[in-house]
Amino acid sequence: MGDSGMDDDLSSLERKSISMIREAKAQFKNMAVLWSTGKDSTATLWLCRKAFFGKIPFPVIHIDTSYKFPEIYEFRDRLAKEWDLDLIVTKNEEALTNGTSPAKGKLDCCTQLKTEALKNLIRKEGFDALVLAIRRDEHGIRAKERYFSPRDENFSWNYADQQAELWDLYVKPSEDFTHMRVHPILHWTELNVWQYVKREGLPINPLYFAKDGMRYRSLGCMPCTTKIPSNASTIDEIVKELETTDIPERAGRAQDKERAYMMQKLRSLGYM
Amino acid sequence: MIILALDALDYQQVEKHHCKNLMQAEHGQTDISDFTLPRTVVLWASFLTSKNMEAKIPIEGQWEFTLQPDETFLRFVENHHTVDVPALSLKQRSHAEERDLLKKYFQHETTIETYDSVVLRNHEENKKEFFKSMGKFDLLMGYFDLADAVGHLSFGVPERTSEVYTELEGIAEEVRSSTDDTVLIISDHGMKALGRYGDHSENGFYSLNRPLKLRTPKITQFYGLIEERALR
Repeated sequence: MGDSGMDDDLSSLERKSISMIREAKAQFKNMAVLWSTGKDSTATLWLCRKAFFGKIPFPVIHIDTSYKFPEIYEFRDRLAKEWDLDLIVTKNEEALTNGTSPAKGKLDCCTQLKTEALKNLIRKEGFDALVLAIRRDEHGIRAKERYFSPRDENFSWNYADQQAELWDLYVKPSEDFTHMRVHPILHWTELNVWQYVKREGLPINPLYFAKDGMRYRSLGCMPCTTKIPSNASTIDEIVKELETTDIPERAGRAQDKERAYMMQKLRSLGYM
Repeated sequence: MIILALDALDYQQVEKHHCKNLMQAEHGQTDISDFTLPRTVVLWASFLTSKNMEAKIPIEGQWEFTLQPDETFLRFVENHHTVDVPALSLKQRSHAEERDLLKKYFQHETTIETYDSVVLRNHEENKKEFFKSMGKFDLLMGYFDLADAVGHLSFGVPERTSEVYTELEGIAEEVRSSTDDTVLIISDHGMKALGRYGDHSENGFYSLNRPLKLRTPKITQFYGLIEERALR
């Protein structure tokens, strides 16, 4: 495929994402977008900027677990200033004070420092819609997601009973949910995101670029994220690498979570 | 009567792997919905006594919980033998070793291969003892934890699960070909995949070499059947 064909594809992905973001803004009174500072959520912020001609008209939420890389905090603060973001940084201070940490159990740590922190913020700010940068190709369970996905107060999601989203008609608000998850880049692939980062000249966290033969492919908290062997030190080289790899993007993180979850299940059954 | 107690033998996996000898003449799913958690010791104790033993067996110290034979269906049979049955004749040292290695695996202190090799060694020991006892008792009950122990770390790896079901199918074939007695094959619970790992599920299994047309029996209901066979 030539560059113009790729640009056509990216423009088509971009159009659909922007229309979804505008649709959500029209439907919901109090929405926000989640930003981890990773490539997907940064591309999503860019799409939000484009949807509203340069200024995002809703808050940008960053969940701070306190265990993130220093590069993440630097990148966050720099871009928030440059893009004039209405940034809300939230933390589960109570859990941190009580000693929650990856060393005491990764699953519990994620639940307390990410999920509970977000739940508390939603309750406090009364958000009725959240834009999230998840993609179907990231993980098996995400392949079942819809573009507009209602959640209850426990963040539960009934994936076995979802409405179809035909002809770009998305799920409308109903009384059965506390907030709507909006996934504008659900249909993108990891490669699409990098191609888009390159085309749009987006700023990107330096952790993604290889140093001494290793780089991060997916960014999370320091103790739970591992590097992959790679020599890709530019966006072009990352794109080239992704065109040939068959290793899943979150391989360095998903297995840790499964392991932590299984350990917890075995504990509950009395095996350890 | 012969009882093959196969921990975590999963109804769906038996069908998926076409294990004809495990299925016998009649097979189906058991009902363990009365239990809050599908815990191994609780389910076997309930099978042995016909009572839901959940409240009597706290998680703390559950593996050491032991019934007296006259509290179980063994009271109906004078000449009986059990091999490594939880809540009755569990080989404490072997299972403690397996649980210790399981813990070490999650602490990154050992590998799945080391854990599996100990599980397999214990399995072979039980197999030897069980087949040595065949034909010598009116009631012989042998417990094998292969599907559960290997499944916890590898249920999501199809090749490994196939190996386990091939091995258990082989045991069922050998039992069936060497007795005319009633053979009950039963599991405490089934298993479901959690990525590469395996968690207990409600897909419990039973089969009989003589059809009784049971309909999703509760695990506690087999007591009556065993009593009836024993007193006949």
